Amino acid sequence: MNDVALSRNGARVLRGFFALVVLFLYAPIVILLIFSFNSSDVPAFPLSGFTFHWYREFAANGDLRGALWTSATIAFLTSLGAVLLGVLASVALVRRRFRGKAAVSALLLSPLVIPYLVFGIALLLLFHTLGVPRGALTVVIGHVVITLPYTILVLVPRLEQIDESLEEAAYDLGASRLRTFRSITLPLILPAVLSAFLIAFTTSFDEYAVASFLVGTRETFPIYLYSALRFPSQLPQVIAVAVVVMVVSLVVVGAAELGRRVAERRVSL
Amino acid sequence: MGGGEGLLRRRDLTTPSLLGLPLGWLGVFFVAPIVIVALYSVDVYSLFSGPHGFTLDAWHAFARDHVYIRLFWKSVKMSLIVSIAIVVLAYPLAYYLALSGTKRKYVLLLLLIAPFLTSYLLRVLAWKVILGDEGVVNSFLFWTHLRAQGHPISQLLYSRFAVMLVLGYIWLPFVALPIFVSLENLDRRLLEAASDLGASRLRSFRSVTLPLSLPGVIAAFFFVFVPTLGEFVTPSLVGGASGYMYGNQIVDLFGTGFPDWETGSVLALFLIAVVAVLTVVFSRFLQPQQVAAE
Repeated sequence: MNDVALSRNGARVLRGFFALVVLFLYAPIVILLIFSFNSSDVPAFPLSGFTFHWYREFAANGDLRGALWTSATIAFLTSLGAVLLGVLASVALVRRRFRGKAAVSALLLSPLVIPYLVFGIALLLLFHTLGVPRGALTVVIGHVVITLPYTILVLVPRLEQIDESLEEAAYDLGASRLRTFRSITLPLILPAVLSAFLIAFTTSFDEYAVASFLVGTRETFPIYLYSALRFPSQLPQVIAVAVVVMVVSLVVVGAAELGRRVAERRVSL
Repeated sequence: MGGGEGLLRRRDLTTPSLLGLPLGWLGVFFVAPIVIVALYSVDVYSLFSGPHGFTLDAWHAFARDHVYIRLFWKSVKMSLIVSIAIVVLAYPLAYYLALSGTKRKYVLLLLLIAPFLTSYLLRVLAWKVILGDEGVVNSFLFWTHLRAQGHPISQLLYSRFAVMLVLGYIWLPFVALPIFVSLENLDRRLLEAASDLGASRLRSFRSVTLPLSLPGVIAAFFFVFVPTLGEFVTPSLVGGASGYMYGNQIVDLFGTGFPDWETGSVLALFLIAVVAVLTVVFSRFLQPQQVAAE
């Protein structure tokens, strides 16, 4: 076969290059996996023996579990808030005509480009000025801002795909806008709502910069990791956590992608 | 029939009621904080009590004192090198996925992107374990006697090289996505036409594929350059003194040692201004869909 884009040899070279890059991307993760079972205190060659010790120690570490729990709570509240605001904004952007739409959509997406560090400091100054004490809720407030654009970017294309005449039909049958949204629009965009929720959750769960300025004395998981990274005595234990978190997130990502495809196939009209 | 009645029924979920909450949230928690930073930078607000009023002193000092500007340029250079390098690396990957006709392209794409969706800090951690003086690379070299015990290659960690390597590692999967999308949307018939007219593959790549995928390339570059320019986590973990970036300076000015919020605000606002200008310049190449993982 003579392809217009790629010769057979070209394809072979690119496949080799692709494999090399994938190797480069996964090698550090595999190395962590290996050393999480290594019995030495220091992650270094030669390997000294197989152990579950670090996993047991991590399971017994209350600070670490507390930090994971704090992050999960913050991420959950953030996703709820961001998805709610994102659905409202996306419906307005896709279904309504109003003046200044370009400016509104630019403002809604602008948190995408703000340096998180600067945003964290700016929000810190705001709370400082208002006398609001820092804590998990101030982190949620900041995380809703930075995850909102991601939810909009997922929801808008999905809303655009939905045939507006379905909603018109509901109006004609006497449904209110709210009723129409609940019974027609929402079920149709549900897969996108779920992936928006997931994106907001993972972004918030992993976010360090904004959280570090806003969290006060509570520790989120990234903040715990950051301090553990600076003081390497806990390194092997942190590596074990790293492996658990990475495996869980890879599984979640894979499952979500699979679920999204199945769901989209079912609702595509 | 129905017109007036329809309007009546549609009174719920009006545009203001839809936009009020999102815009209000951003107004209070996004726009207002940046305005406050601006006020701090001209000393209208201050952390400390005492006389203060509008002054541009901090801005003058920023422009005169070359330390900050020089550090900014150093960060620009580092981010430029990282962004360009990984765009160049990612292009052939995206090209392979989009145009080689491989059946498993979405599986392979997911394989490529998945590391980006795992924890940022944990990926930095992996490199710290690998690059340290007693880390994986050096201990491997000792073990295999390729290097004498006690003489590690110490430039691996805590260096500008380490910062750029780790940033490149972190952002590489992300960059492939917008390039893939632009190549995927390319109409193959254009390539067939070029080939029918006698163009070689190289020629049709140069005259058709590359120009048509350029928006994706530029978007990819932009979405890496902007966040790496304001980066401070990676340099503070693997950069040491020589990998110190502009973002680290801002954090230190707001930090606990010798806080100087006024100067810090100037540096922060300058970074926002640069990013805003870049966004406007690049905006005609940026389609929001390019960052939405489709």
